[in-house]
Formats: sequence, structure tokens, C-alpha cells
Amino acid sequence: MIRFDGAAKRHPDGTLAVEGLDLTVPAGRTTVLVGPSGCGKTTILRMVNRMVEPTAGRVLLDGTDVAQLDAAKLRRGIGYVIQQAGLFPHRRVIDNVATVPYLLGWDRKRARTRASELLELVGLPPETARRYPFQLSGGQQQRVGVARALAADPPLLLMDEPFSAVDPVVRSGLQDELLRLQAELNKTVLFVTHDIEEAVRLGDQIVVLREHGRIAQVADPATLLAAPADEQVAAFLGRDRGLRGLALRPAEGIVLLAANTPLDGWTLAVDQEGRPTGWQRSAETIRQVAVFRPGLDTLRTALDSAVLSPARVAVAVDHAGRVIGLAPRAAVLDALDAAGPDTAAGITATGVADGR
Amino acid sequence: MGAAGIGGGTVNLYSWLSQFFGDPDRRHGPDSIVHRVGEHLLFSGEALGWALLLAVPLGLLLGYTGKAAGLVTALSGAARALPTLGLVTLAVLLAGVGDTAVLVPLVALAAPVLLVAACEGVRSTDPDLRDAARGIGLTHRQVLWQVCIPWALPALLAGLRTAAVQVIATATVASYVGLGGLGSYVVGGLATRDFAQTIGGALLVVLLAVATQLLFALLIRYALPAGLRRARD
Repeated sequence: MIRFDGAAKRHPDGTLAVEGLDLTVPAGRTTVLVGPSGCGKTTILRMVNRMVEPTAGRVLLDGTDVAQLDAAKLRRGIGYVIQQAGLFPHRRVIDNVATVPYLLGWDRKRARTRASELLELVGLPPETARRYPFQLSGGQQQRVGVARALAADPPLLLMDEPFSAVDPVVRSGLQDELLRLQAELNKTVLFVTHDIEEAVRLGDQIVVLREHGRIAQVADPATLLAAPADEQVAAFLGRDRGLRGLALRPAEGIVLLAANTPLDGWTLAVDQEGRPTGWQRSAETIRQVAVFRPGLDTLRTALDSAVLSPARVAVAVDHAGRVIGLAPRAAVLDALDAAGPDTAAGITATGVADGR
Repeated sequence: MGAAGIGGGTVNLYSWLSQFFGDPDRRHGPDSIVHRVGEHLLFSGEALGWALLLAVPLGLLLGYTGKAAGLVTALSGAARALPTLGLVTLAVLLAGVGDTAVLVPLVALAAPVLLVAACEGVRSTDPDLRDAARGIGLTHRQVLWQVCIPWALPALLAGLRTAAVQVIATATVASYVGLGGLGSYVVGGLATRDFAQTIGGALLVVLLAVATQLLFALLIRYALPAGLRRARD
């Protein structure tokens, strides 16, 4: 757990980067600092591993003021991922990943074995190990950066806009990967981004910041989208936040019709396995079928499926892609109503720390 | 010997060279080519060694701290304007005839080049890379050794190449104070109006300098770690 206790940073020229910040970052969860550029979010993150020393206040790591710890030792116990990956160009990928274990004095063999495990964990093929960073794509370099941060198995990860420099498709893949890793590892993650979509996607707790590191709101994603603290936060969250909030609710409790129900003349064609192949109405055929998986996907996907279907029904499939039923638009909306009128009834509001 | 004077162009050049390289003294004894090249390389190597020792650690340190970078460049520019022959004379006056008299000006020639190369090489390290290295727990010393020096290697080697070529070309002055090397052909030939010797000696200096240049080109091409060679292509 990290606690910021009135932590402030004033630059030598007198300008204020962060004025007294009080914030708790709970252990084992992902906290995202989000805000416009220049709001001090990176400065706040860097106070934790003493890349920035606060000019007032303290940063406590599991109750210990980090200022009392040796900076290099402290940092070796904290994973650190930055936007440009910052890999050593003259070292092979495997040795880049093994950097912190080497610093900690592990022998070469053990460090490299560990590094190989991590490359696999972050989804890089084994042959990547022998390559040099310049031989990798931006997304692969970022994966190596994450692997390096995890190499010595630190309980805490600091991630400073780690996915901002890659294209949207790769970014989305990296975000999925981080969610998967986090479900497996349960690290305390402090993540900085200017992208509210990324914050909503990754965060258990989101800290919206204004200039000088002032906290505008601390909330879990669903609460944030449903009930922004003020106009400014609402504006920062952007349009369609109600619809985007659906992406945080599981598609559960939707009443399904039988798969072979004819609707408005349309029928759903399936292959031998029962997977949908297209919509048919007399001579018309639409080959693309948008589907959702009850319990696995979100209400947003379910609604999307219903909106895209010519028959105005969402197509529910099981994990193997076999049709299990059809859900009219009204049924999807009913499920939304059943989940509760207001904020985050569909999921428990966890991770709200200071609730301000 | 029978060189009748200057004139006649290529014919004379050819006959001078064949006369120079045909002389049995060039193959054996203290005035043989092998011996003179050996002397020449010894002085040059010694001078480069001192220059490396004096300039590189200082350059690395100044480059890492980012302090006095402007001063380094300015001083080096000034140092390059020093006349080598004048320095030899001065060193002889101060230290007498001997190795020092030759080493001082050669070191003064090579050191500024190496100082700038080391300083600029380290200073050009990608700031994100330095930040990441600090952030994952390298100490300053480790950042310098494990990140900045490898990063500076191509620049350092390029500086070393320049310095080596200059020193080898200039080590010709050693013979002014009677310390041999390829300069003894050039200077000795001029003194005795034996132009075959002068031209032959000059050619050997050029060849040695070109060979050095090639050696470093190969070194830079093949001896650097792959990540450094290609990363900035």
C-alpha cells in the first residue's frame, strides 16, 4: 500500500507541480492517475520511487517513508515501466529482462531462467530472447519493458503512460495483457495515463486529477462514469459515458428466445457445430453476425449485438461460439433495468479509497 | 647517393622510390623499414595511451554530469590550434632531448579529440534510457558503466581513430630530436638532400596512417555489439 501524506513538489524555479496530495493506493489493485497533461500525474508517480523527491510531505510505502530508504535499493524492489520502454540497446532482450535480478546479485543462469519465464508470461515467443531491442516492434518492446519490471517479482508496479506510444490496436492488446497478468499476479499497480478510456479499462480505482495534482475525484470506473463529481470531471470523461459504462457491467440475466425463432422474416443460419454463419430473409443474406457471450461479455457488447442485427435481436453464444439463444433489444434493456437504476449496482463498488 | 636534384616528374619519383626501397639498409639494421615503423608505432602508441588515460576518464565524467560541456568543446578547439613543432621545441627546452619531448606534443594533439569524443558520446545517451536505468535501480556508477559508456563506444572509437591517425602522421617530428621513427627518413633525407629517402619516408607515413584508418573502420564495423551498431542506423 502506498500513502501520499501531503506530498508536494515545487520546482527549483518556484513553480508548483503538485500541491499537498493525500491519497491511498490500495495493495493488490490497479490505481490509475488520469488527467490532462501538466496535471502532475507523472511527478506523483515518480515520488514513489524517489525519481522525484517531494519538497513537502511524505510518501509512505507499507508505512515506511521512502525518503528513509536507499534510492537504488528501493527502486530494485519496484517495477518501473515508461512510455519509451527504455531498453538497453546493447543488450539482448533476455539480458534486458534480467537486469534487476543481475543487480540483485542473482547468478546468470537463474536470472536468465527467470527472464525466459517472464517473456513467456508477457506473450513473447522464445526466439525473442536472443534479439536486440531495435529488432522488435514498439508493442514488443513495451512487453519486454513490462517483463523487465516484473523480473524480480516486485509487489508494486509503477507504469508511466506505458502504452501511449503504440498504435490503438497494439495498445488494446497490451491492455488486455495487463488485465490478464494482473488477474494472475495481483500486484499493487500505480498507472499514469491521459487516456480516460484506458483508465476506465484498467483501473480498479481511478484518480482524476486537475492542475497541480489536485484530486477532482477518486472512484471506481462505474461510479466515475455514472456519477462524475462535477462538470469538469464530466467534461473530461467525454460523451456517451452512460453507454461506455455498460462496458463495465456483465451481460447477465438476459432472457433468451430459442435460436430458431423467425423474426420479421429473418432467420439465423448456423453451421453443423451450431455456430452462426449469417442472417437470411428470402434472397437476402447478411454474413456478419455480431454475438455476445452471456456472463463473459458486457452489456455493451450485448446491446451492440442487438443494434447490429437486422432482426433486432442480440445473438447469445457459448464459449465455443455455438448459438444458445436470441435476445430482443428490449430483453437487453430489461437486464439493464434489473441491474439497478443507478451507478454500479451490477458490480460492487470496490477500491474507493478516499471517496472525495 | 646519386639523386641529381629535383625535376623530371614521374620518372624521377619512380626511380627515387625504387632506389629507396631497393637499398639493403631498408631491410636490415637500425635504419630498416621494420625497425623505423616499430619505433614510429611505439611513440604513437605511447602517446595515445597517455592521452587515453588523461582525457577519457575526465571526458566520461564531464559528459555524465553534463557539467562544463561547453568549456570542454572550447578548450579542445583551442588546444587543436597549438603548433606541434613549437611544442616539441618547448618540450625540449623544458625537459631536454628525450621521450618526453616527443610525447608531450603528441599527447597534446590526441587528448582534446578523445576528451570531446568521450564527453559528447556519454552526453548523447538517450535521456529516456538513462531515466529508465535509474528508475529500475542502477546506481550512478552503474548507469555510467552499463548504459552511458556502451552508448558512447561508437563515438569513442571514432575519436580514437581520428586521434590515432593524427598522432601517427605527426609522430614524424620525433626525428627532430633524434628519436627515430619514420621521420628520420624524411628529416634525414632533407638534411642530406637525399630526396629518395624523404619521399620514401613520407610515403610510408601516409601508408601507416591509411592502414590505421582502415583498422579502425573494421573495428567500428565488426567489434561493436550488434545493438549499438544497428540501433542508430
